[in-house]
Amino acid sequence: MAGGRGDAPIIALDGVGKRFRSGVEALAGIDLAIPAGGFVSLLGPSGCGKSTLLRIIAGLIPPTSGRLVRGASDLSGRLGFVFQEATLMPWATVWQNVYLPLRLAGKRRDAVAARIAETLASLGLAGFEQAYPRELSGGMRMRVSIARALVTEPLLLLLDEPFAALDEFTRFRLNEDLLRLWQRHHWTVVFVTHSVFESVFLSSRILVMTPRPGRILADLPIDLPYPRDGALRTAPHYTEQCRRISGLLSEAMA
Amino acid sequence: MNARVARIAAPLAVGLLFVLGWDLLVRLERMPSYVLPGPLLVAETLWRDGPSLLGSLLVTLRITLAALAAAVVLGGALAILFTQSRLLELSLFPYAVILQVTPIVAIAPLIIIWLKDRVFLSLLVCAWIVAFFPIVANTSLGLNSADRNLVDLFRLYGASRWQMLRYLRLPTALPYFLTGLRISGGLALIGAVVAEFVAGTGGTDTGLASRILEAGYRLQMPRLFAALLLLAATGIAIFAVLSWLSQRLISHWHESVLPPEE
Ligand SMILES: Nc1ncnc2c1ncn2[C@@H]1O[C@H](COP(=O)(O)OP(=O)(O)OP(=O)(O)O)[C@@H](O)[C@H]1O
Ligand SMILES: [Mg+2]
Repeated sequence: MAGGRGDAPIIALDGVGKRFRSGVEALAGIDLAIPAGGFVSLLGPSGCGKSTLLRIIAGLIPPTSGRLVRGASDLSGRLGFVFQEATLMPWATVWQNVYLPLRLAGKRRDAVAARIAETLASLGLAGFEQAYPRELSGGMRMRVSIARALVTEPLLLLLDEPFAALDEFTRFRLNEDLLRLWQRHHWTVVFVTHSVFESVFLSSRILVMTPRPGRILADLPIDLPYPRDGALRTAPHYTEQCRRISGLLSEAMA
Repeated sequence: MNARVARIAAPLAVGLLFVLGWDLLVRLERMPSYVLPGPLLVAETLWRDGPSLLGSLLVTLRITLAALAAAVVLGGALAILFTQSRLLELSLFPYAVILQVTPIVAIAPLIIIWLKDRVFLSLLVCAWIVAFFPIVANTSLGLNSADRNLVDLFRLYGASRWQMLRYLRLPTALPYFLTGLRISGGLALIGAVVAEFVAGTGGTDTGLASRILEAGYRLQMPRLFAALLLLAATGIAIFAVLSWLSQRLISHWHESVLPPEE
């Protein structure tokens, strides 16, 4: 179930490259298929084009070469995006922030109130509906940002280093929350990170990228069984996987 | 000392020192009141002439507020139009700047001649010209300051132009607009007074500027000072009201008006 290679891709990239008008070549010849239901991590050094790749997958910017192939399912409105910063509207309450995607889709408040309440509760935000972003901690803001992405019940969830700015403790907890939700809802996740440990802990597959222009250096299935929890972090087969991938990454940098 | 007490006490102390110095200067140098009236004499005149000056103040205030309202409506609308069409912005913005940098005393006579039978309107137009630019400039800046990632998020969820404006650009612009508004409030008053100065006295329903001119001609310095004092107080009141309004509208989220950290 957890995104073996046989699953039909929800979205695929075919020889995608991106050269910005400034002349910077961010990506070159990216071929990749995101399997439906998979948890795929993009792992690579800073500046290798991970964010650019994610924005291309989301359709926010066009590739300059190659093409984006959409799978059978219609993704319009069913795509969740979580930015590196929480990116909340400071003038709006937690509830209003999470309501935003539904409001833009023309949904009435009372029709979606139950769904919003449920989403907030599943991220431990119950009771903070009327708080403003400035009244929340960094970790809670990130949870709101994730709640906003989840409330549309996305088929494809794109996360751009969502936990990079958080302390390790909070990051671990949010990792586990995210895994739990992913297993319950069967979304497809593409997760950008530059933490080896985080990517091994979460992913069913890791794509290691080279420095700019970014290419896919290695495509590694992680065959640690789900559900995974905190205990895994100290398990020898987990640390073994991390060591293997760290090795690959330093090879990529060389 | 408590910060709150200081905020009121410190400027008050400066004011008190100033008035004392003023009084001392007038007494020691035996200044005649047609050169520099003492503070007591000015206060007395204000008390006596207050009612008659108040009518003129209302005229000035009406022009000021009407000009400010027009600046808000037209300035705000223009800023929104600018964000919707880059071409429109490119073609109109330079003229807004020209209007802004041309001294109002130079344009006022023309406007007063062109609108010769409509004194109120001509003064209003002059005050409006002075007041509208800060609103256009600040609101435009605000409308274009939306967080890039939020813009992407809105696009991702298929937001229409209207939704983008209503739920993202306008709320982003609100603090900028309010800054413009506070500047424009003072400018509208200045514009109203300057325009009336240029228009000269005469007519029945005239504002404070006419009272100041009259008093000047007749060397009634205490009355002139009283009118000036009234004008300054009005300016401060306008600023205070607009500041209070800003506070009310954005205090729950914007950094500029957040209460000190607890
Ligand atoms: N809009 C843009 N215009 C020009 N160049 C850009 C643009 N966006 C990104 N780049 C360049 O493309 C390259 C890849 O950027 P990108 O943000 O995708 O890297 P990243 O892998 O996400 O890095 P990080 O891990 O630091 O977030 C960088 O060299 C960057 O300078
Ligand atoms: Mg990035």
